[in-house]
Amino acid sequence: MVVEVPRWTNAKMEIATKDPLNPIKQDVKKGKLRYVANVFPYKGYIWNYGAVPQTWEDPGHKDENTGCCGDNDPIDVCEIGSKVCSRGEVISVKVLGTLALIDEGETDWKIIVINVEDPEAAKYNNIDDVRRMKPGYLEATIDWFRRYKVPDGKPENQFAFNEEFKDKDFAIKVIKSTHEYWKALVTKKTDGGEINCTNATVSDSPFCCTQECAKATVEAVPPCGVANPIPPEVDKWFYYQRN
Amino acid sequence: GPARSAQHSLYFKNAEGKYISPFHDIPLFAASEEDKEIPAKRSKINGSEVVFNMVIEVPRWTNAKMEIATKEPLNPIKQDIKKGKLRYVANIFPHKGYIWNYGALPQTWEDPNHTDNSTGCCGDNDPIDVCEIGSKVRSSGEIVQVKVLGVLALIDEGETDWKIIAIGMDDPEAEKIHDIDDVRKHKPGYLEATVDWFRLYKVPDGKPENQFAFNGEFKDKEFAIEIIKSTHEYWKALLHKKADGGAIKCTNVLVCGSPFCCSEEDARLIVQSAPPPVNGDPISTEVDTWHFLNK
Repeated sequence: MVVEVPRWTNAKMEIATKDPLNPIKQDVKKGKLRYVANVFPYKGYIWNYGAVPQTWEDPGHKDENTGCCGDNDPIDVCEIGSKVCSRGEVISVKVLGTLALIDEGETDWKIIVINVEDPEAAKYNNIDDVRRMKPGYLEATIDWFRRYKVPDGKPENQFAFNEEFKDKDFAIKVIKSTHEYWKALVTKKTDGGEINCTNATVSDSPFCCTQECAKATVEAVPPCGVANPIPPEVDKWFYYQRN
Repeated sequence: GPARSAQHSLYFKNAEGKYISPFHDIPLFAASEEDKEIPAKRSKINGSEVVFNMVIEVPRWTNAKMEIATKEPLNPIKQDIKKGKLRYVANIFPHKGYIWNYGALPQTWEDPNHTDNSTGCCGDNDPIDVCEIGSKVRSSGEIVQVKVLGVLALIDEGETDWKIIAIGMDDPEAEKIHDIDDVRKHKPGYLEATVDWFRLYKVPDGKPENQFAFNGEFKDKEFAIEIIKSTHEYWKALLHKKADGGAIKCTNVLVCGSPFCCSEEDARLIVQSAPPPVNGDPISTEVDTWHFLNK
C-alpha cells in the first residue's frame, strides 16, 4: 500500500496519475489546494488512506456489481491500524474486506486493510474481526464516505450491496481484476488517455524508461518552495444530520 | 507540530512586558463591548453580553495535556506529568484528542474545602475549566475573549469539575449563538459528544467512567455565570489568604492588596531562575492509538 493521506490529516494528497513517475501531490480543484472537510464528529480522514500500486479502475469497463465505470485511478485503501503513517510510506498490509462506494457516479472500491506491523495484526483476518474489535469503525467508514463531499456542495454518495462490506476473498478478487486492468494499461492494450505510464521496472511495458531518463524527469521539476500554512478554514467542523 | 519529548514551561508577559501569572493576573472579565468601538449587540433579554477572558491550554484535536501549573510560581503552562511520564489524553473513538479548544478561566478556583451543593463533591483545586466550541483551532497560551453558553457538571474521580461551554467572540457564528440551546441547534451532536468524551476519557488509563450531576444535562448561561462568579469569590479569598490553598502558588504581579503580590523584578527573577526543560523519553506511538470502548 502506498500511503497518500495520514490518518487525521486533511490535505488531499494523491498519486499524480497524469504526471511522469506519478509523484504524490496535493490535489488542486478550481485553482486551490484541496483539503477534505471535517464532517462532525470526524477530524480529517479516519484511516491511513492510500492506494494499491499496479492497480487501475478502468473507466472503459462497467463494473457488474456497481453498474458504474471505474474512476480511472488505482484502487483505494483504508488502513485501520493504530499507527499514523507518513505520506509516501509504502507498507505491507493484510486485506480484510471491501466497501463498494459509488462516488459521483463512478465505481470507487475502498479496500479495508491492516498494516502487517500493527501490534494486533495477527488478530485481524477478515472483516468480522474489524466489526468485533473496533465497534463502530465500519459504520463510521460508511458515514464518512457518504457525507464527505456534502460541505463542498455535492450530494451524499451511494453504495452497492446495500452498504454492506464484502469479505476478504471478495476484496482480493476485486484487487486482482484491477491488477489485470493495470497490466493491460501498462502494456498498451488499453488506452489510458492522459494517464502517464512511464515506469522504470515493468520490463514488458512500452513505457519503460531508463534510470537516466527517470532522473532527468525528476530533476526537471521546479524545486520545492516554502510551504504555506494551512488556511484556518480547513479547521472548520461541518455539522448536519444525515438526509 | 510534533509532540514534545521535554517538559517546557510557557510563561506569560503582559502588554507592558511584565511577567505575569495567567492564573492570577489576567482579568476574568474582559473589556466590555462599550469599551471597544463596536456597537453593543443587544441580546433578546437585556443589555450586552458578559465577556470573559479564557486561557487556552489545549488546542482542539491535540493530545498533550497542557495545564496552568498552579503549584509553580507565576503558573506557567506546562504539560502534565503522571507517573514520571508526560501525559497525553487518549483518543476515544470516534474522537481525536480534545474535541474543543480547552482551557481555564483566570481568577477562578474550585475550592477543595467546599462541598458543592449541586454535585455533592469538593472542588478539584484548579481554575474552572472551559470548552471553547468555535471553528478556529487556537494555540496553547492564547487568551481568547469568550461568551459563556452553559455548563456541564462533571464529577471527575469524585471531585467537582465544572465544564463551562463557551465560544470565542470572534467566531463567525458567535452572533447566532447565545445560549446552550443555540449550540444544540447549530452544532447538533456536539453536546452529546462532549458528555460522552468526559465520561470515557480516562477509561484507557484504567480509571472508571466519570459521572455527572443533573443527569448529565447542560445548565444554561445564567446558571453557568453564577458558578463562575462563585469560583471567582473562592479565588479572591485564596489570593487574600482567607482560604488555604495548600501547595498552590498565589504569586502575582497585579492583584492589589494580595499578600502574594510581588514586584516586576521579582517576577523576572522567578522566570529566569526556572529550571531548563528536562528531556524526556521519545513520544510513544501509543499516543496515536484509537480506543474503541463498548458503550
